[in-house]
Amino acid sequence: MSATGPRRRTIIAAIPVAAGLAACTSPRTPQSATLRFFTAHQAAVVEAATARIAPGPRDDPAEAGHPGAREAGVTGYIDTMLGALQDEGTTPGIFAGGPWSNRHAPGPDLMARFAPLDPVARIAWRKRLTAWQDQYRQGIKALDKLAGGDFTKKPPAQQDKILATRSVSEFTSLLFEHTIEGMYASPEYGGNRGRAGWKEIGFPGDIQPRGYTPDEVERSDGHDPVGNTGIVADVLKILGIV
Amino acid sequence: MIGSGAGGAIAAMELARAGWDVVVFEKGPNHFTNLAGQGPIGTAFANDSLAMIVRNFPGPDPEVFPRTWRPNPSAPVQYTGSVDELPQVVGGGTVHWDAKVPRFWDIDFQQRSALGPFPGADVADWPFSYPDLAPYYDEVERLIGVQGDTTKIPDLVTKHAPRKNPYPMPPGPQMRSSTAVAAGATALGLHPFPFPMAANSVAGYNGQHACNNCGFCSSFGCPVVARPSALVPLRQALRTGRVELKPETMVTSVNLSGTKATGVGWIKMTAKGPVTGTETADVVVMAASAIETVRLALLSGFPDRSGKLGRRLMLHAFIDGSAIFLDERMHAHRGRSVTQCAEDAVDPDYPGARAFARQHGLPYLRGGLMELGGTQDPISEAQSYQTLLGFIRAAKPFGTEFKQLMRASILRDRLAGCSLIGHDLPYLSHTVTLDAKVRDVFGLPVARITWSAGRHEQVAQQFWIPRLKAMMSKAGAGVALAVPATDNSGGVPTGNHIMGGMMMGTDPAASVTDAHGRVHGLDNVYAADGSVFVTSGAHNPTNTIMAVALRSMRQLAGSNMRHLAGS
Repeated sequence: MSATGPRRRTIIAAIPVAAGLAACTSPRTPQSATLRFFTAHQAAVVEAATARIAPGPRDDPAEAGHPGAREAGVTGYIDTMLGALQDEGTTPGIFAGGPWSNRHAPGPDLMARFAPLDPVARIAWRKRLTAWQDQYRQGIKALDKLAGGDFTKKPPAQQDKILATRSVSEFTSLLFEHTIEGMYASPEYGGNRGRAGWKEIGFPGDIQPRGYTPDEVERSDGHDPVGNTGIVADVLKILGIV
Repeated sequence: MIGSGAGGAIAAMELARAGWDVVVFEKGPNHFTNLAGQGPIGTAFANDSLAMIVRNFPGPDPEVFPRTWRPNPSAPVQYTGSVDELPQVVGGGTVHWDAKVPRFWDIDFQQRSALGPFPGADVADWPFSYPDLAPYYDEVERLIGVQGDTTKIPDLVTKHAPRKNPYPMPPGPQMRSSTAVAAGATALGLHPFPFPMAANSVAGYNGQHACNNCGFCSSFGCPVVARPSALVPLRQALRTGRVELKPETMVTSVNLSGTKATGVGWIKMTAKGPVTGTETADVVVMAASAIETVRLALLSGFPDRSGKLGRRLMLHAFIDGSAIFLDERMHAHRGRSVTQCAEDAVDPDYPGARAFARQHGLPYLRGGLMELGGTQDPISEAQSYQTLLGFIRAAKPFGTEFKQLMRASILRDRLAGCSLIGHDLPYLSHTVTLDAKVRDVFGLPVARITWSAGRHEQVAQQFWIPRLKAMMSKAGAGVALAVPATDNSGGVPTGNHIMGGMMMGTDPAASVTDAHGRVHGLDNVYAADGSVFVTSGAHNPTNTIMAVALRSMRQLAGSNMRHLAGS
């Protein structure tokens, strides 16, 4: 695959740093200069909403010590995606390259050199992103409206209620999907900052070219009972009767 | 040559070696480097769930290449989007497969003679038998490089799929999740064994790296190309110097003049829009995978004397089993997706199966090969919780409870999946036709799939689901789930095993292609993919696709060599 220009890599590298700064200085308003698609207000709404979907220590006392969407940089992930095709001259950040990152290999992060889009894939992604951009514009408006003006100004419990409202369920669902991606996709896509999403769930992520040793493949990792209470117990119960 | 996957690559190799000039059309892009050169093949594929599972990197993207689905011929289309898509890239389905290569059984090739007729289904014999195909299985195993242990294959499998040679490579390490479920299988009286797999357990086979058990096999391109698969024959084809590979080029018609094909028409998207052209040919070989091959045959107006063109689509009626271990993390992300299998459920004479079939008014039932011990990636896992929370926490279907589920990981790290590949009978009502409304990016009608589990498949699932659950419980699973895979997809088939539509046979009045894949009624058009299958077996079909393609194309190549010798 051909390597992409420096511009793409600069942007990828810039997002975690800039978003990190934003988190330190003004947690609810990421700096608009780093944004590709959202306005500062739209980004703030997305940041607030995704922090309700996957809360971190600052969003829910139950999540002390557990990074969430905010810490993983989910807003940056979504903004990067929605703006992926706006610069015609550069390789869009749709498909990370390969065959591996620099997490288990010396040398450059080859996943950060995004793969070129073939002309048909470009048509597909233009279509998909245009539809999502519209959904985000409308969805953010709808959240603000339900909040009586500004979603970010509402207390968390109210924000939860708004996100669970039937009239915005499709948008909440889309936000949830993209929160998941921003939490657990490879960091090259702009989320999962510092592998926060993976560390949180004990998932090593990409492992090439290291792989796993025969012992790591075959052994039992030992007794590790699941905390069978609350939502886990409820889900197990539902699954058990399927 | 239309398609560069399992069948197309084998066909290109065989014909190029025999002296033909071959042009290989591949609808999708090429994500490999050094295909024709020396040394390991390079690739852009990485351990990347987002690209592979979510963003359609291997294609086809349903925004531009959708399909439609309906459960039966009298139902309207109920779904437009991805329907059982295989990768649309150089290497085809062998790019994302987890390279498991069990053989079909003898009774699969002689199903009508061995098991009798089946009311409502179009069960037939293949025009050749297992012993006829066995040498080609051997050759494919050596060609692409298979790991396995013949000493551990149970008698039942050896009886129905006898083999002369050991596998070229020994099996790699056995995943904890697989051995745990296999123990339950043994306790139930089943006979699990190391799943034969076309991945290098030895560095250097075919000049490629050894598998390092990274865990990204099924649904992923291999970053170290330790399972080169169709790339091996494709490389051999390219090295003859007589083969031209044309990626990102879709064949839109096989051009016919009377009973002869004159070549193909193609279309290619560029930044400035589509460009079209034609290629003349003495022979056209179709290997676009069964659904797309049939679609092309229909777009091209092929003759259909038997009335079976596009019928008898077989997709395997999978059962999704999930063994959830409450006291141990099974770490099935380490290893080759799944490393143990059992073939007991393939057998129509499994204890109790005949009686259960009779009770339900059927002559027999067959389950299928069980894949013991897989899991899913965190993005897919999280999507599962999103769905579940929508059902059981309508007031707040997100938040800390979502993250608690991710940490507990009952549907990933504590999971050992157990899929049963359900034998799928051939029904005339299960079809590929052209959709009346939906068009692809080039304006051509897309494939409309008509398929749902038939009576046999439903009864077989009823018989095997409790046994699958019992096996998982005996393995120590705290929760043992098993449901038809289509329950999890709203009915849309998802198994990625695509067979039928151009069935082989000796009688032109009762089959679409002859015993070597030549289309009846056409002098020089062949099918060399899963479309020619007469029955579906109860196994992963790709190595059988390759073996059948090799047999067909060797015959075609042989006739050409005779032609060259005489000229």
